[in-house]
Amino acid sequence: MSTPIEDEINKEIAEHKILIYGKGTKTAPQCGFTVETMEFFNKFGHPYELINVLPNPEKREALSKMTNWPTLPKVFINGQFYGDTDVLGPMEEKGELQPLLKAAFSDQAT
Amino acid sequence: MMTFEDLSTQIQQALGDAEVSVLDRTGTMDHFTVKVISDAFEGKNLLDRHRMIYQALDAPMKDGRIHALEIQAKTRTEAQGG
Repeated sequence: MSTPIEDEINKEIAEHKILIYGKGTKTAPQCGFTVETMEFFNKFGHPYELINVLPNPEKREALSKMTNWPTLPKVFINGQFYGDTDVLGPMEEKGELQPLLKAAFSDQAT
Repeated sequence: MMTFEDLSTQIQQALGDAEVSVLDRTGTMDHFTVKVISDAFEGKNLLDRHRMIYQALDAPMKDGRIHALEIQAKTRTEAQGG
């Protein structure tokens, strides 16, 4: 049913409470939007993972298909896709993001 | 290259009543901020609203005329509310 690359993505999404698919690495980000997204999550103090998809166009394409979202970065919180900071910023302003993060990090045991 | 007008026209063709304002973020005419106000967003969450705009701009995003796009999508009521 699902391809190996989709399995890999699903595993990564399940492993990290906050997961950013972006361009570059934490120490060497290669895109302003990826930096913006890292700074956005730095505020909250929760750990996040950044996965660089630049070296892997096939994975980038699979991700775009899975999310029906053409651009990077792509953010997953607790297994759910939330787009990018243009979506997360307004969610934060409306107070919708904080409870989501709280819920994601409250059940560390599971 | 995309002009502001091309960009607005493509969004308006997809979302009939849309009011579109465009900003060039970097002075290079390929990193844009678009603010779109349309009642077509009514009842849709931000993810879906942004998908509608990406879809309208599918061709220029694929061929690289648009490198990056920052999006604000509001309904008329939301835009009036600030």
